[in-house]
Amino acid sequence: MSISLHQEYDGKHVLLTGGTGFVGKVWLVMALMRLPNIARIYVLMRGKGRNVNDRWIKMVNENPAFRPLHELHGADLSRFIAERVEVVPGTLDSAQMSIEDSVADRLRENVDLIVNCAGLVDFNPDVRVAVSSNLDGSMHVADFAASCKKAAMIHVSTCYVAGTKDGFIPETIAETAPNGQPLDPEAEYVRLKEIIEETEAENESEETVRTLTEEVVARLEKRGYEPTEKRVSGTVGRLKAKRLREVMAQAGTDRAKELGWPNTYTYTKALAEMLTKVRYPNLRHTVLRPAIVESALSFPFPGWNEGFNTSGPLIYLAGTWFRHIPAKAGNPLDIIPVDLVVNGIFIAGAAVMRGEHEEVYQTGSSDRAFLPIDRLTELSALGHRQHLRKTGADRVEKLILSRWDALASDPEHVLNVSNIREVVFQVTRYLRHGRPEKIPREWKDEAESLAKSGDKAQRKLRQIEEVLDLFMPFTYDHYMVFEARALDKHPIDEPEFRFQPEDIDWRQYWLECHMPGLRRWCFPSQYENKETETYTPAVPFEMLEGESLAPIPNQAASEAAR
Amino acid sequence: MSESNTAAFFRAEGTLINSGVLQAAAYMASQRAGMRERLLRFGQTALAAPIFGVLGQNDRALGNRVAHLSYRDISEDRVVVLAEEYVEDILKEKVLDSGLELMKKAKKDGHRIVVISEGISEIMEGVRPHLRYVDDLVCNRLEYKDHKATGRLLEPVVGGYDGGKWLKEYARKHEIDLERSVAFAGHGPDLLLLSSVGQPCAVNPDFTLRKAAKEADWPIMEFNA
Repeated sequence: MSISLHQEYDGKHVLLTGGTGFVGKVWLVMALMRLPNIARIYVLMRGKGRNVNDRWIKMVNENPAFRPLHELHGADLSRFIAERVEVVPGTLDSAQMSIEDSVADRLRENVDLIVNCAGLVDFNPDVRVAVSSNLDGSMHVADFAASCKKAAMIHVSTCYVAGTKDGFIPETIAETAPNGQPLDPEAEYVRLKEIIEETEAENESEETVRTLTEEVVARLEKRGYEPTEKRVSGTVGRLKAKRLREVMAQAGTDRAKELGWPNTYTYTKALAEMLTKVRYPNLRHTVLRPAIVESALSFPFPGWNEGFNTSGPLIYLAGTWFRHIPAKAGNPLDIIPVDLVVNGIFIAGAAVMRGEHEEVYQTGSSDRAFLPIDRLTELSALGHRQHLRKTGADRVEKLILSRWDALASDPEHVLNVSNIREVVFQVTRYLRHGRPEKIPREWKDEAESLAKSGDKAQRKLRQIEEVLDLFMPFTYDHYMVFEARALDKHPIDEPEFRFQPEDIDWRQYWLECHMPGLRRWCFPSQYENKETETYTPAVPFEMLEGESLAPIPNQAASEAAR
Repeated sequence: MSESNTAAFFRAEGTLINSGVLQAAAYMASQRAGMRERLLRFGQTALAAPIFGVLGQNDRALGNRVAHLSYRDISEDRVVVLAEEYVEDILKEKVLDSGLELMKKAKKDGHRIVVISEGISEIMEGVRPHLRYVDDLVCNRLEYKDHKATGRLLEPVVGGYDGGKWLKEYARKHEIDLERSVAFAGHGPDLLLLSSVGQPCAVNPDFTLRKAAKEADWPIMEFNA
């Protein structure tokens, strides 16, 4: 029997975490646009030193995702939101998500569904931060859900929890690590905490302090400063803190790789899924795993995207003079538009509230609309071609760079980024140290200027190399197809909420939606040192006086009314 | 049969557009991804040119098959993007005003305007808006497998002696009175197409068609602009 999402969400109370993230914001706007009969959405927001309400107002007024809401409601938006949204200050760092007791009690009583979109998406962060956000944070949400009177929970994870595997990835929570080793999630959680403690202890060890001190003293002396105790200890302290972040990131990556995950992100996300299953067997919950979440197909508007994403750096590279993208022809890169992911969250949310849910829902495209990476690379090259032919800065860009097609190629290709960087390094070194002594002063100046450009190019190439290394497991090393069938078990009445990746026309999406979206919303801040474009509504949203915590609708009354 | 059930058939190449399939194939070849591929396919197109020239007087279908071999392994995505470019940068400037005038007049006379082209659908659909009066477009279609062109054309291949047979089938399907219909073409293999209608006209004809048109006493038109 098909489900009507309008009916399922009518009068429901939903707690949203990660509402300021890319997926969370689209979920929130879609809920307000398409499910206006939802009783209440509680948006958990961290203060981050600013008043939570200010951040909320700024987000609603300036973030382009909210544009359709402004356009639909105009001057009435403030009232519309006040009646439906309550901003709840809190963080996932601690138990009860740091929500004030009285508010928490109210939520425990009323909430029907918790949508946990929160999480850290950096691939190799400081492992303490990853644990705090992706593991402990998820446990705090699950713990809160378990303490609620009737709440079900949907936990947004990632398809890539499958780790470095090849083949068809089913919609189940694995009981082993990707390397095949049996994994007790509780024991692994303890081990991870031990790794953090050991790494902290190692960073505080006498040997580390001695090595750092010797380095600092040598450096100070080389620069002609007297290595006073105050100066040395201050610098050592700073270096120790910096080193700790680095070794913590490395420790997480090492453990992840040891067990078969490509990075700390996927490792901690996988562990969170496993731990929730083990620790909360009676909690009505499900996991929704998106693949690589990218620009919107149509909602909030075509091409909407923000922040860091996976295909962005690859697409950016395809528009530069660098041609050889390390990618294995025929391997899929599982891209899924954000609005399809959000549709999936709504469907899975309805299913879990009804108690008819599956353990895992994967929202990817590789199973139903296969997009090989070589096609993606060519589409990116063609997209840049179209763009540069029209808007190239000069004739070189218009005539040559536009035709400088990026190709999917072997990482060992002779023109790979590492070899190019080496050539640039050698040329720079020659310009600085190997040039003949007796040359005119102007030539020397010119050589120095070129060498400086070489330094700059090297830095950029190193960044590119790092990005490519990061994505290599997905673009070259592994062939993964994520099953995405579980959502089909819940046919939906409303066509606008359906999850149908097979309807994606990749060429149209890539050239008319995704690439223009990246150019407008992501590249300026990430690669061009520009401010990201913001939205300015005709009538700004404001939190109505006394309605930042608007009265909760009487549930019994609203149920009776229904 | 009503007055409106007549048609004006136009062979695009030479009549409406001053450019042929070889130019398009050469453009596509020169814009392939990677220098090696560009050189290889451009060379292939260059080799196909004399074969196309010789076959063009007789069996244009075979000539078209040879000319389109250089499309082999090009992705559908690239064909679509390059076709758009080709139309914008080159082909729209090659549309013959005199040909457009002919179409305009035929339209005014109540004919259904049918354009028959040897060009591939990706290009011809792009040029269609510039031809303004087209009711029906019949052109060649590339065969694709896994989004890559195989270098083959899908049947029926436009351009050969099958044109007359195709025309009769088309007339039957659309209830067109061929006796009251007109056709404009310029190549030898279009003879059967022209002889199937009541009012044929040779436009910028090649050697074979010019000879036949003179013998049959068909009108001959010459224009370049």
